[in-house]
Amino acid sequence: MTTAQQRQQQQRDWFQQLLTRSDVSPDSNMAWLYRLRDDAKRAIKTLPTLGSKQEAWRYNRVNDIFDINFDSSSDFDNDIIEPDINDYLLPAFDSYRLVFINGHCATKLSDIKQLPEGVTLGSVKAGLRSMPEKMIHWFDRNHQHNEYMFTALNNALFNDGVYLHLDRSVHLDRPVEVIYLNNNHSQSAQYAGSMIQTRTIISLDVGASATLVERFINGSGTGNNETYFYNNVSEISLADDAELNHCRVQDESRQAYHLSSLYVTQKKHSAYHSSNLAFGGAWARTEYKVDFRAEAAICDLNGLYAVDNQQLIDFHLDVQHRAESCRSREHFKGILYGKGRAVFDGRILVDKQAQFSDAALINDNLLLVADAEIDTKPQLEIYADNVKCSHGTTVGKLDQQQMFYLRSRGIAENEARKILCQGYAAEIIDDIALPELQKHVAEKLMHALNKNDPGAGGHDGY
Amino acid sequence: MSSTPKNVQSSVDDLIKASYQHGFVTPIESDTLPVGLDENVIRSISARKNEPEWVLNWRLKAYQRWLTMEDPEWAHVKHPDIDFQAISYYSAPRKKPGLASLDEVDPALLDAYNKLGIPLQEQQALAGVAVDAVFDSVSVATTFREKLSEAGVIFCSLSEAIQQYPELVKKYMGSVVPYTDNFYACLNAAVFTDGTFVYVPEGVRCPMELSTYFRINEANTGQFERTLIIAEAGSYVSYLEGCTAPTRDENQLHAAVVELIAMDDAAIKYSTVQNWYPGDEQGRGGIYNFVTKRGICLGKRSHISWTQVETGSAITWKYPSCILSGDDSVGEFYSVAVTRGRQQADTGTKMLHLGRNTSSTIVSKGISAGEGQNTYRGLVRMSKRAEGARNHTQCDSLLLGDKCGAHTFPYIEVMNPNAEVEHEATTSKISDDQLFYCRQRGLSEEDAVSMIVNGFCKEVFKELPMEFAVEAQKLLSITLEGAVG
Repeated sequence: MTTAQQRQQQQRDWFQQLLTRSDVSPDSNMAWLYRLRDDAKRAIKTLPTLGSKQEAWRYNRVNDIFDINFDSSSDFDNDIIEPDINDYLLPAFDSYRLVFINGHCATKLSDIKQLPEGVTLGSVKAGLRSMPEKMIHWFDRNHQHNEYMFTALNNALFNDGVYLHLDRSVHLDRPVEVIYLNNNHSQSAQYAGSMIQTRTIISLDVGASATLVERFINGSGTGNNETYFYNNVSEISLADDAELNHCRVQDESRQAYHLSSLYVTQKKHSAYHSSNLAFGGAWARTEYKVDFRAEAAICDLNGLYAVDNQQLIDFHLDVQHRAESCRSREHFKGILYGKGRAVFDGRILVDKQAQFSDAALINDNLLLVADAEIDTKPQLEIYADNVKCSHGTTVGKLDQQQMFYLRSRGIAENEARKILCQGYAAEIIDDIALPELQKHVAEKLMHALNKNDPGAGGHDGY
Repeated sequence: MSSTPKNVQSSVDDLIKASYQHGFVTPIESDTLPVGLDENVIRSISARKNEPEWVLNWRLKAYQRWLTMEDPEWAHVKHPDIDFQAISYYSAPRKKPGLASLDEVDPALLDAYNKLGIPLQEQQALAGVAVDAVFDSVSVATTFREKLSEAGVIFCSLSEAIQQYPELVKKYMGSVVPYTDNFYACLNAAVFTDGTFVYVPEGVRCPMELSTYFRINEANTGQFERTLIIAEAGSYVSYLEGCTAPTRDENQLHAAVVELIAMDDAAIKYSTVQNWYPGDEQGRGGIYNFVTKRGICLGKRSHISWTQVETGSAITWKYPSCILSGDDSVGEFYSVAVTRGRQQADTGTKMLHLGRNTSSTIVSKGISAGEGQNTYRGLVRMSKRAEGARNHTQCDSLLLGDKCGAHTFPYIEVMNPNAEVEHEATTSKISDDQLFYCRQRGLSEEDAVSMIVNGFCKEVFKELPMEFAVEAQKLLSITLEGAVG
């Protein structure tokens, strides 16, 4: 066997080991779910293995993951581990709240009472028990199953997650907040960390609107950076005129692996706005697939990533214009303040029939230190002629003139640098729909910039 | 759906139907190897060319390597698998030994050039251009040799250079594009037949624009030339490459390799007008143009500039690149690529910044019409050492018609915080407002389209040497014939 073949085999073994170890029991009472899991397991045997030879993974060093053993059993008791949830709440933030500990819904910490009529919100595990017919309907909305190894793994092994359904014309008065507290709960010393998998299912009926906040947090309690792999698949479907505001704050343990695959399907005149903030993880990747299924839909994807030493943060966006007159905007900004790596890949596809498409993508990157690396790849793939499409990318350091301006007014170098970074990030942060969250994210960024002062370690440039 | 005015659409349709101007076959007896590729073929090519042992060994090493490689599939193009055993790897016009002057060149051959509108003698006299015409694979006429040799410039075919300047060739051939580089470069290293060799000594400014017109003539003949240009410290050379090929039904493979080497303060300007047979309306025939072009700015303050106008070929697949190794060196890439009918182009550049304060500029203009697919694919890499490096990239695509495609795939890798990179890309069509403005001022639809397209390409055309700029505009007009009168 060649080295390449050995690697492929190692990868297949890695996935197989997770399937074998897992205690997610295929429920034979639910034929469709049984089939879904069974298909996924078979797909893992046949899907192409991941590696730098694949275009979508060329900058990602995904192979390193397969050297680490993760424990896919969920052999722990939710009720024993009961963190003080107040440690994790945003001050004065009024929301319908769901808390997940290592991918399992912690009912005691959640608060989803007094939901308005026409709103269904809860844990997937409970939903599968109490209303399997509805769940099958929502699961069926998306056909992107088993797209690649990790989504197949999620299909085979997801145990819990969030579902949110809004009936026709329902407007949710308060945001839905989902807090994921993740840590290493593996009971066995032979594993480096645990494997946590959740599924998120959002479906908004005609004219409905909601705000969803998802926060992925290092939940070790002690603040220790533990190793775990969090693998999420989100399916979001918006009916005609529906609108979803989606904020995702990724603040995982700095030893953690985080993978989110989001599939968004949009109907006529629907609108999807998202803000993606990425701070944590040793390896973190977010994949977006937005599919315009009918005309005049709008999609805004915004993001900010702050990359420290030994971090790899990766965003893959794929917006597919398959219907007329849709508009998409993507704006992602990165600050590399430590010796880490950021990867950005944004594709805009405009199909033949998608005339009058309007798409724009911007990716800006600020490199504050030497030995950081940014690999960015915006892509336009256009098959229709009457369209307006553009993309722009920049990579650079802080503007010397702006630095001079601040320095000449007596502001210390570190402070000046922070002020400029704040200003740079403000464009994304100010776009977050919720002021409480805006504040939280701005603080997170300040904290990160304070902790790693590039000026402190000698002349590294800025 | 599309709001394209009917008359524009019809002119675009005319454009699509405009037939290839240069489709004729010159009946010349030629010395062609039977189809197929194995070691014997390579030995036979080498023997015919009287090559020294080291060249043959290099070819054979490349061939062994090639056998282990796989046909790359990453490009945004579609074509049936190429049968490498169905190609003849050597075709030379049968020549009289010891060709002394132009008078001895086969008149039919000279006539072919005349039909293309590039009369050899006239061009020598009028334009002051030395032409090293490659008819199929072997150089048959090299002119202005004396004037060049006075200046100390060597301008000859690569086979000649191998005989006469083996040290130079041995030192530099394969140093920028090693035979291991990629599938087609490797194939070229094994079977290359001829090409151009240019050597400009230290401090010399080449007294004229050097030019080669390539033609592919023999049916089923892949053309595998290699070009090697070396500019010593403080020298300057401008090289022009232009191509046309007669109509054929079978696909012809063209896998060339171009290597440029620039020492301290040297500048190389490499311009291409590529107008090979693009295939018919159904996408039958046409040239597969899979080329590896790369230059290295070895010296400080050296400068390499690529300018290309790509209107021909069924499939164009090339990425003229610059390795900016010397401090303060400069790389440039200016490109216009036109695809119509069923043409596909996947082209762009790589700018690899290694030295300090290196800078590069990329301007790429893609025009797609009919069912053409046009892709820009480029890489800008700022290595750790590239302090203060700069890059600006501008990619614009123009879509004429609703069946074509325009794609942009830039890769940007930055490892130095003091490097700055900017990339911009836009895709649009000719707006009704622009057309209306021109029409209102009495321009015909065709003239208006022509004017707008020319304006769109202006940034690139102005980088071309005079003679080429004229030809490029002419070529664009011919390509847009029907639409552009």
